[in-house]
Amino acid sequence: MPAERAGYTVTMFLIDISSSMGAIRTVDIETPDGHTQSVEMTNLQWGLQYVKLKVQEMVYNGRKTDQCGVIVFGSEHTRNIVNAANGGYDNVLEYIPIAQPNSNTITKIDALEPSSVSGDPVDALIVGIETQAKYLVNKKTWTRKIILVTDAESPIELEDWEATAKKMNQLNVSLTVVGIDFDDEEHGYHEPNKSNIKRTNEGFYVDLTSTMESGIVGSCEYVLQNISAPESKTVKSVLLGTVIRVGDVFSRSDEALEFSVKASKATAVARPKSWKKFILRTKDKVTAPDGMVIDEEPEGDDEKSAYAQLRMRTDFYIDRNAVKEEEIDEDVEMKEEDDNAMLLEATQGEDADRNKKKNTLEKVEKEVLVRGFKYGTTYAPCLDGQFPRLQTHKGIDICGFFPIKNFRRELSMSEVQYIWADPSSPQEQVALSSVVQAMVKKGVMAIGRWVSRDGMDPKMGVLMPVENPGVHYFLWCQMPFADDVRKYSFASLDHLVNKKGQVISEHPYLPTEKQLAAMDDFVDAMDLMSAGKDEDGNRVPWFNPIEVYNPAVHRVKQAMFHCAVVNDIATNPLPPPHPELTKYFEPPKKVLKKAQNAIEECQLAFNVKEVPKRVTRAKKDTHAHAHDDDDDDMLLLDEKKPSANASHYDIVGASAIIQGKGVEIEDDDDDLMEHKKLSMATPANEKGGPLPTLARSISPLVDPGIAPGRIIGNTYPLKDFKKNLAQGDVVTKAVEDLSSIIVEVVMRPFGSRRTQEMLDCMIQLRNTCLTEDEIAKWNSFIVDLKQKCLSKAGNLDFWRAVQDFGRGLSLISKQEAKQQGGESDVTENDAGEFISSK
Amino acid sequence: MPPYDDWNKIDEDEDEELQDFSMFETKRDVILFCIDCSESMLEQYESSKYEDKQTCKLYDALEAAMNIQKKKIISGPNDLVGILLFNTTRKSEVNRNQGSEIKRNTFLYQPIAPLSAPTIQELIRLLDAALEDQRELRTEFPPLTEGRVPMGDVFTSCNWVLRDGAPKTASKRVFLITDEDNPHPGLGSHQLTTSARTTLVDLIQAGVTVEPFFISTDEKPFDMSKFYSSVLGPTNLVDEYELAEDGSVLPENISISRVEELLEQMRFREVPKRALFSIPFHLAKGFTIGIKGYSLVTEQTKGTYEYFVDLGDRMEVAAVKTSYVDEDRQAEADRTKIVYGTDLGASSAADEEEQDNEESTTSGVRVVKTGNRPFYTAEEIRSFRTMGLEPGIKLLGFKDRSELEFEDNVRHSQFIYPDEMAYSGSKRTFSALLKSMLKKDKIGLALVLTRRNSSPVFCALLPQEEKKDEFGWPDPAGFHLIQLPFADDIRQAPIQEAFKASKDIVEYAYAWVDKLIIKNIGTYPPDSYPNPALAYHNAQLQASAFREEFDPDSFEDLSLPKTGSMHKRAGKLMKLWKTELQNDPSASIVVPATGTKRKADVSVDEAEIRSKYEAGHLAKLRVDQLKEFLKSKGQSVSGKKDELIGRVAQWIEEH
Repeated sequence: MPAERAGYTVTMFLIDISSSMGAIRTVDIETPDGHTQSVEMTNLQWGLQYVKLKVQEMVYNGRKTDQCGVIVFGSEHTRNIVNAANGGYDNVLEYIPIAQPNSNTITKIDALEPSSVSGDPVDALIVGIETQAKYLVNKKTWTRKIILVTDAESPIELEDWEATAKKMNQLNVSLTVVGIDFDDEEHGYHEPNKSNIKRTNEGFYVDLTSTMESGIVGSCEYVLQNISAPESKTVKSVLLGTVIRVGDVFSRSDEALEFSVKASKATAVARPKSWKKFILRTKDKVTAPDGMVIDEEPEGDDEKSAYAQLRMRTDFYIDRNAVKEEEIDEDVEMKEEDDNAMLLEATQGEDADRNKKKNTLEKVEKEVLVRGFKYGTTYAPCLDGQFPRLQTHKGIDICGFFPIKNFRRELSMSEVQYIWADPSSPQEQVALSSVVQAMVKKGVMAIGRWVSRDGMDPKMGVLMPVENPGVHYFLWCQMPFADDVRKYSFASLDHLVNKKGQVISEHPYLPTEKQLAAMDDFVDAMDLMSAGKDEDGNRVPWFNPIEVYNPAVHRVKQAMFHCAVVNDIATNPLPPPHPELTKYFEPPKKVLKKAQNAIEECQLAFNVKEVPKRVTRAKKDTHAHAHDDDDDDMLLLDEKKPSANASHYDIVGASAIIQGKGVEIEDDDDDLMEHKKLSMATPANEKGGPLPTLARSISPLVDPGIAPGRIIGNTYPLKDFKKNLAQGDVVTKAVEDLSSIIVEVVMRPFGSRRTQEMLDCMIQLRNTCLTEDEIAKWNSFIVDLKQKCLSKAGNLDFWRAVQDFGRGLSLISKQEAKQQGGESDVTENDAGEFISSK
Repeated sequence: MPPYDDWNKIDEDEDEELQDFSMFETKRDVILFCIDCSESMLEQYESSKYEDKQTCKLYDALEAAMNIQKKKIISGPNDLVGILLFNTTRKSEVNRNQGSEIKRNTFLYQPIAPLSAPTIQELIRLLDAALEDQRELRTEFPPLTEGRVPMGDVFTSCNWVLRDGAPKTASKRVFLITDEDNPHPGLGSHQLTTSARTTLVDLIQAGVTVEPFFISTDEKPFDMSKFYSSVLGPTNLVDEYELAEDGSVLPENISISRVEELLEQMRFREVPKRALFSIPFHLAKGFTIGIKGYSLVTEQTKGTYEYFVDLGDRMEVAAVKTSYVDEDRQAEADRTKIVYGTDLGASSAADEEEQDNEESTTSGVRVVKTGNRPFYTAEEIRSFRTMGLEPGIKLLGFKDRSELEFEDNVRHSQFIYPDEMAYSGSKRTFSALLKSMLKKDKIGLALVLTRRNSSPVFCALLPQEEKKDEFGWPDPAGFHLIQLPFADDIRQAPIQEAFKASKDIVEYAYAWVDKLIIKNIGTYPPDSYPNPALAYHNAQLQASAFREEFDPDSFEDLSLPKTGSMHKRAGKLMKLWKTELQNDPSASIVVPATGTKRKADVSVDEAEIRSKYEAGHLAKLRVDQLKEFLKSKGQSVSGKKDELIGRVAQWIEEH
């Protein structure tokens, strides 16, 4: 079959509204969140969903040549052209004459109700064929489609149907029978308790469609499913003529060459169709100029509301009193706000409004405006909206060639075009072919300058030669001009220099050998080169653009169709997107499963932590804002109510202590000296937030007190610690973190209120160190703690509390260690001495 | 360029492309040029640009400032600039805009003000005068003879000037230009260094970025370690939010160059570096880093014209306001109450007939039962567009580099760079990923949603290795995000068969192709091709603003092919190839007309048309023949027969 012409089609919908269509059924509909919800509706309403979606598709495409008509059968009324001419054909009503459909068509279809009688589908079919044929009498090339929706419960006069089938074949009509609860072999559906008459009728439809050249029966369930599947619109690109020039064809035509080519699009972004804006009309001021429905409607009786489509209007305003260049920034901002406010009010009462506001915004007519460009504060009038254009000649000038291997793919900045040799000129095909082959042979691509029409602005681009088995051609893609490239500078990721000008080789910013290895494994594990399958089951790379639908385009389309055919979104929500649309939202399951180990390795090796979001900086920066804004607010709050929230206060203090003392808190923090220097030199620097790579940032909102790089927070250290131990393998890190936190908390100004908590932490910590073979860590921790506590700025009280606790918090001795299978070089004696000495 | 009205009609919340740049336009940029005026800056030397003229570093710096202003005024007409000079004894007059007097020995030559033609012209006049008379600058701005003004005072002055002159919301930058690497040697240097550092921190606190441009000469190379490395230090990284990135690393934005390269260096920073998006990059579940995205390639356009009203004494820009109205009622809609639906379709003739008698609706109105709403809210339609996703990049896996085809392109690429401030450890992770992918020659595949209001797309992540270029711009390390087309975007090839060239002809073609390979650059060089149409437009705009006459002949289009050298290198070979083509058997093949419709024979030989033209008998040809000929030459076929004949004649004359 030759490619179908878009449009140029008349579709007849033949809808069964016999009384049997009024049977109530329960339909499961999916809500957007994936749940199903049961809704009751008649068979007719169910079948009409399909009709409405089909009609909406025509409305959506908006083609004048895509028309439809609706004929109902089983109606109490009779009105059709065959009846008018010959009588008979009762209960068949031409409900909507053939025309281009719009939303009213859908409203009308929606209004259909099951009747109290029954009708013969064959009668309707004949009326449909005749009506269509009469309408298309002068339009022989148009496509004819008939869609019949029925439950097949009404008797059919099964005589002479072959003649009808023959007639349809003659006229090239394609027939689709949409059957409510028809048996569906493919989907394994059999209606239970099917009536005899329905079984016979179903058989008839199968016979009828199989005699036809293009006829098909489908169950309503299936077609409804099918209609929501995404489908790409195939657009045939237009061939636009241009020329390729090599050399100066104007003055040196003996050598220069020029051949005509055709350009057509290879990629063109498809965008979702735009939404139309509507507003609910309020009833109180009904002053419709053209006598609309709403006026005439009696109040209260079957109340209806109208949504009116909005049109965009552009107005121009001028502020005569605007003082030039005064307080520029505020002025502008203010003005914008004012404008908006003005506009809203302006409609309600323009004059009153204007008097009220001294700010004299004045509407101006477009006719009095002058076009021009701004040149700073100066204005350059330009009556046509543009200056005289650069003189250019249509065509693609070849500027030279360069090796394909040097091509920088990231410079491609446009959709891609095919460049073909003129299909009507074999000689030019040979010319283009020879250049393509020569370029492929040399491994080069061409730089070209393309002017689409005489006088149009030139574009630079590259021409890529392509040798296809059937045809040789170029692909064109636009390249940037010098003006289009932004040369931002970025700090080097590899080359870090400290202030002394020395290159640093170890730093938290630089990945370690271990980290590099983990990443290599990750990249290998997540390989997609053989994660997909083609039609024959061969392994192919996963994800091929030609098979991937634009989810937004199809989702928006689905939503548009949905709202066009339902009456209320709240009771009839949009079903979730078709699975085809989200197919590529996750990596293939197999790959993920295989990569699980590598992923976990990476998580551990890289230890990436989210840094809490800072609140936008205050505008006035003073030294008083010495801390991170988050912390700042907290600090202020706490100062007002010192006892209210002690733990937060502690957090703030923590960072100060770390800086002041230079406590090493992260294992990969090698450049400690630098940082220390920094923090001492510029206390104000803190304002911009602590360095996240160091474990200083605090996130009171997200994850209370857990600094980046740590697995234990300041707020509930013991809880965090236990949780981590329960999870298993990061004991060392947990021990380190808890040790640091204890020191921090204790060394803070108001550490005393957490003394008991810290002692509990220490008991737990010591216990863990003893059993988990982290004895050395405990011993160095407790020595450090003691030393700090006893130092000048220390916390003697806390150490006293530790001493009061006694031997159970002292160094871990050889004996103790041995019991747990560990090692220590501390004697029992030393351990006792350590805790009791002053 | 579409007319302004059309452009304006593009729905604000629907078009993505536009939003990409809106942020560049809305946020204004302020640059304060802060130029050293000392003795060494005034030292005269032979100009490399102007023959027989003497210039000095100050001249070159001011000239660069002027050129930057000229560029900026076009790219950002709402931006502001100012020029501050230091180490000069000239006193600033206190003017009403300047709230506080600035420090001694600093002089505010141009206060921060919106760019305007007169201020640029004033600067040009000064430069012209200086070129004529080498003492001009020295008398205008007498240099400080004894000692130097403390750098701390310079920074403080900058701070005050910006505080008083710059809008609060703008991005503010100081371009510091000096050739002195050690302004405070000897006694008290430590204190002066500390005060310089403190005042610089103050400046940075006020949201100002300092971009140093240090002039280095062969005789006196600029040594950072003498003074500036301890002053500029780490706090200088107030690039957007990248505050105090890391204490141990020198700032990235210091430029040390020869005076000739000053302008070029400044051009790199003419546009403030702004990230388009800052979103998480999910490598896997529970493995997320922070990145920022930048547009390194963006089409610069002429901009759109505005509407002005003549108020007699001045021209005022008219504010454009769009509103949505219910046309039947002439009522403006409250934006918060707008709901969204689909096009209701064209009203048919039948509908209109019915309107008179039946209960039907007019076009553009949908009647429903009260309480029902067959429309969506703005929030709902946004979720359809985003598919319910939050902004972010989600890695799906890796593919071979060769899988990224030339034709899989729909728009310009974007560039991503790690953001340590969002996730600590981002840099090392990003760096490791980049290295691994480069080593294995892989590209990444990712699902990308850059903004809350956009739609998800699939992108290839193309790794870029960090490279230091000798003279050009270094390639930063990072990934290019290349948006892949969807099935919906891909058009099938409309032509499947064509004649191909024989080996012999390919040889002839190969000969001239080989000769036309661009030497020494070896790739597409964007820098060699300034946009001629844009430059032409801007030149006219400038001439108009300066009230000068624009001379179109003086304009040079650098994007034109260098046909002269092309002919010199390959002209003969091209001619041979052409002759060979003429002799090819394909020349005599006539393609049978395809298509179902039978057409009259319209094919006319070019030779025949030429002979008709020479005989003056073009009018004897039929319209369809003329059209066919024009079509084959890619010319327009519109118009009456006379026009067609004219166009054919013109074509023949030109070829």
